[in-house]
Amino acid sequence: MNESAPFIRFHDIRKQFEVGAGAPVILEGIDLSIAKNAFVSIVGRSGCGKTTLLNIAAGLVEATSGEVLIDGKQVRGPGQGQGVVFQQHALFPWLTAAGNVAFGCRNTPLSKQERANLVAQLLDLVGLGHAADKYPRELSGGMQQRVAIARALALDPEILLMDEPFGALDELTRIEMQQELLRIWQARKKTVVFVTHSINEALILSDRVILLAAHPGRVQMDLEITLPRPRVRTDTAFNAMYKEIWDGLSS
Amino acid sequence: MRRYLGTLLLFAVLLLAWEYATTNGYLKPYRFPAPSKIARSLFELMTVGFPKDLTIWVHTKTTIIRILQGYVAALAFAIPLGFLIGAAPTLEKLTNPLIVFGRSIATLSLLPLVIVWFGTGELTKVILIGYGCFWTMISNVIAGVKYVDRTLIAAARTLGVKGLELYWAVILPAALPRMFAGARMSLGVGFMVIVGAEMIGTIEGLGALIMEARTFYRSEVTIIGMLVIGVIGFLISSGLMRLEKILIPWDAGLEDVRR
Repeated sequence: MNESAPFIRFHDIRKQFEVGAGAPVILEGIDLSIAKNAFVSIVGRSGCGKTTLLNIAAGLVEATSGEVLIDGKQVRGPGQGQGVVFQQHALFPWLTAAGNVAFGCRNTPLSKQERANLVAQLLDLVGLGHAADKYPRELSGGMQQRVAIARALALDPEILLMDEPFGALDELTRIEMQQELLRIWQARKKTVVFVTHSINEALILSDRVILLAAHPGRVQMDLEITLPRPRVRTDTAFNAMYKEIWDGLSS
Repeated sequence: MRRYLGTLLLFAVLLLAWEYATTNGYLKPYRFPAPSKIARSLFELMTVGFPKDLTIWVHTKTTIIRILQGYVAALAFAIPLGFLIGAAPTLEKLTNPLIVFGRSIATLSLLPLVIVWFGTGELTKVILIGYGCFWTMISNVIAGVKYVDRTLIAAARTLGVKGLELYWAVILPAALPRMFAGARMSLGVGFMVIVGAEMIGTIEGLGALIMEARTFYRSEVTIIGMLVIGVIGFLISSGLMRLEKILIPWDAGLEDVRR
């Protein structure tokens, strides 16, 4: 990790949804630097503020104090190079798969043909070239998340913020999607911040796992994952890392 | 057709039993006119008319025109107004009691007042129908706009949607299914108030036909009037459902619930 030039920088983030003394503090003193092209997972129990932290980076939620910098520029809202993938049901149900992806790049100065090509290319990237004309309700949960990833990539963002994107999928689809995501990450070179409550998922995917403690949400553990890729779930070193995080989570 | 066979058979048995009961004195014919009597009267209505020259076609046409006028006017007010209220939380809080209040007043209880204000002409009938349709429609438009999934709005924002674009590119299409459901319910209300709306100042229209039949102890004509209202209501509702499938092809999961 290159500490001198962090790509995403969380600086002393504090968040309270209500003001006043006694209001619960969701996040406190979050200081993090994330290197370019890194894959970082944020793990923690429900209610530890991991989604809120992601939303602050996305520019969807404002921090009570502190700031997030992307490439040195303060985040003031969405559209500063952050692509976001939500847990589920975030596709526009009235648009087809292709329509959803095209919505992502609707304002780019491309010709109609170029845009159609881009959309087709993105759908191919997520393995859904054949489902371009399907509406979200006609797609399985896994396919919907593939479309959501393609849509988030439509503006070619440098950062991909993912909020438990595979949390609602069944185990097998989930493993498949993890492999897909790694393939896309390696092909497209993005900085990924990935929120999950699955230690296993975090270990399979990430260069670095950040464990948040709850009440208030704060960084409890920050681990570099140097295990060689592709990672094997049954590997001894993998399991040792798993145990370390699990112990941190249950302490 | 086969799946309706059982229903048709049951219907036929009921009609036969009814016919038998009236012709054999178990039921009083002026209370429960025999199906054969109803059929004869229907023929009379189609040819001679009741009152004379006002055939069932004339009554039906008049009623449909009145309902459509009131309905379209109600929608024209309810859709933009409901959208505005649903999109502005403060306005919604402010108007909510008013809307519950307005919706709770039975349309027909307004009849005496509306007659005083607008007389007994066409306008009064159209206003009554429109009043009934309006509240159902506006409630649904507000709910449709207000309860748009927050995730969709967040997703739209991450894709660079801001300002007015959020309303027409995201909230409007997201609210459409609910608005369409409201439009169908609202039309149902139009049909429900039609008899009352046509109670005064006219002998034309299905509602008027039903009231007129009462004066002449023609219960079978009342039944015909009811049947025709039911049939057109059913046909228009089916038509709207088909239109809904064409206009909102992405949404098919709720149609059974809305039926």
